[in-house]
Amino acid sequence: MDFRKLLLVDDEEGVRRFLGLSLMDLGYEVKTASNGREALAVFEEFQPNIVFTDIKMPVMDGIELLRIIKEKSPDTEVVMITGHGDLDLAIESLKFDASDFITKPINNDVLEVSLERARERFTMKCALREHTENLERLVEEKTSRIVELERQNAACQVVNGLSSALESASREVETGSGLFNELPCLVSIHNRYLEIVAHNTLFEERLGNHVGDNSFDIYSDRTSPGNACPVQRTFQTGKGQRSRETFLGKDGEEIPVTVYTAPIPNKDGEIELVLDISVDMSEVTRLKDELFATRYKYQRLFDEAPCYITVQDADLAIVEANRLFKRDFGEVEGHFCFEAYKHRSEPCEGCLVDKTLLDGEARQRETVVTTLSGERKHMLVQSAPLHDASGRVIQAMELSTDITEIRRLQDHLTSLGIMLGSMSHGVKGMLTSLDGGIYRLESGLKKGDAERVDAATKTLKAMIGRVKKMVLDILYYAKSRELETEAVDAAAFLRETAAVGAAKAASAGVEFVEDVPEGLGEIKADTAALSAALVNFLENGVDACEGRGADGGGRLSLSARREGDNLVVTIADNGMGMDRETREKIFTLFFSSKGKRGTGIGLFISNQTIEQHGGAIAVDSAPHKGTTFTITLPRGPAR
Amino acid sequence: MPKKIMVVDDDPDIVDYLVSVFEDHGYDTCRASDGISAYEVAMAEKPDLITLDIEMPHEWGPRFYRRLTSEKEFSDIPVIVISGLSGIHLAIRRAVATIKKPFDPAEVIQIVREALGE
Repeated sequence: MDFRKLLLVDDEEGVRRFLGLSLMDLGYEVKTASNGREALAVFEEFQPNIVFTDIKMPVMDGIELLRIIKEKSPDTEVVMITGHGDLDLAIESLKFDASDFITKPINNDVLEVSLERARERFTMKCALREHTENLERLVEEKTSRIVELERQNAACQVVNGLSSALESASREVETGSGLFNELPCLVSIHNRYLEIVAHNTLFEERLGNHVGDNSFDIYSDRTSPGNACPVQRTFQTGKGQRSRETFLGKDGEEIPVTVYTAPIPNKDGEIELVLDISVDMSEVTRLKDELFATRYKYQRLFDEAPCYITVQDADLAIVEANRLFKRDFGEVEGHFCFEAYKHRSEPCEGCLVDKTLLDGEARQRETVVTTLSGERKHMLVQSAPLHDASGRVIQAMELSTDITEIRRLQDHLTSLGIMLGSMSHGVKGMLTSLDGGIYRLESGLKKGDAERVDAATKTLKAMIGRVKKMVLDILYYAKSRELETEAVDAAAFLRETAAVGAAKAASAGVEFVEDVPEGLGEIKADTAALSAALVNFLENGVDACEGRGADGGGRLSLSARREGDNLVVTIADNGMGMDRETREKIFTLFFSSKGKRGTGIGLFISNQTIEQHGGAIAVDSAPHKGTTFTITLPRGPAR
Repeated sequence: MPKKIMVVDDDPDIVDYLVSVFEDHGYDTCRASDGISAYEVAMAEKPDLITLDIEMPHEWGPRFYRRLTSEKEFSDIPVIVISGLSGIHLAIRRAVATIKKPFDPAEVIQIVREALGE
């Protein structure tokens, strides 16, 4: 600092002039005053570094001036000028912190020494002040360093608090941690004065920089303290908070959020900071929508798949079924698969799902099912395991594809060869029986054994009948026939057909009842084919009664009636009946319940013929009770 | 005293046929329509030879054969298999012959005679 400005105060004009000149020569900027009061006025304006003042002056003396200056500016050096005999006053002035005194008349050397001393004192004072100030700054630096360290320590706790807060937040967002990781979180840290200390980048992107702002400033609807914002509640209760809030975005838009807070205590257990993790709910909603859309898509795929799909648990109960399955088998969820799908009271033999649940292997097989509407379908059933997260098989999926049409085609293409193979055994038996009949007829004739001839003739008749039927079946099947329809009287046609069945029933000792009223009107039909189809049912009825023996009370009936435009023919027997499995398979090619006596063709053809006539067959049967076929035929054929 | 032949087959026409053939050639006969009844008939009638069908209800031929030949008195009884099934020649290994349906009666008689050591 400069030490150049000098104020010279003396009541003697001469002293002011010559001393002033001397001081200017020494390089000082000098102003003068003639008494204390004047001097004070100049002092205010001039701000001198050093004051030379006479003691004895009118208006305000030097001592008084010294006192006031020292009060105002303790650093200013004041040197007293004394006349001889003023020594007491000079010494007194030292009490008021005068720097020095010099005596009149003023010796130039003394003046210089005094000035030099004053300058030194001034410089030292300045240095001292600077030093003091430095020390303060140093203390401040050190203090802030310590605060920084404290803050780092707090940051460690923040990280710990953050991870536990994240954990609890992810638990509370029900959709699981996978989703939470994708969530944008606005993270901020607040101190106990409800000020925001720090926040993450996303926070700044969405809300702007809020460091140093009030905790409540970020809400759109909380404008003052004492409004219980989550951070404040956390400080008050010491517990993490969770609430729905609305933040105010950078551009003034409202951002719906779920706020999670976690208290961060210091080492003494007092809550120092609060961590605030806010999840942008608009983003969560979007993700939820996306998830929902994905689920919906899979549900639709599941539902719209053109096959039956069920998910079954370990006891074969249906957990879920797709739309097609429910359409054809009803509301099956919670029911056992074998009940709903196969209409059984216990699990199917060799159940695919059961095996898959055991060993986790996929399987397939074919079966025949009947829908609620009575439609019979040939299904390819496949099973596949469903695993839980740990890879354990917990459920199985069963997928059934309708292969009725494929089977129908396949049947037709490959049938003849298979048929001949499968029938060869039966054919050989028949040929042997024929041989036997001929042998016994010949030998009986030769011996004149009438009884043997009779028996042989009966055998031959029966065998020739069987051979004829089989040949006709094969011929019928081998050739894809077009219907040759004609309009005939329904009653007459049915009675002719019934007569064939009656003959067979009579020979087997089965009672035959015919109930065909007049006035059934006309029916358009391929009479040969339709008659053969109905005779098949009648013959099966007779066969079903066989187990009862010749007088076992077997009874077969054919009745007919009109129902609107339809002709309804009912063929009922009281024979052995069928279980559900057999009932569902009877129209399948090569399925026979008659062992080597059946070809497995008869009812297949009957069914085909009636379908060609646009008709339908309903079967009602129970083991040991008998079977009723109800055949509904429209007035004219469908095609 | 004529030898007795038991005919086992589930088709009564074929049983009638074989019985007629055997009786016409001077043999005594008895008959059964399945494996279970055949065992009972054999026990009662003590036949000297059996003609046996393979595929029958209740009990098939081979099983009946094992059960019967485990009885000491029948352990060496000659059996002729007469069946319509193809590939049956190994169904009963110790059968003296396997005849396929339809068969020639003269051939059957020939085999029966050889089997009975006549």
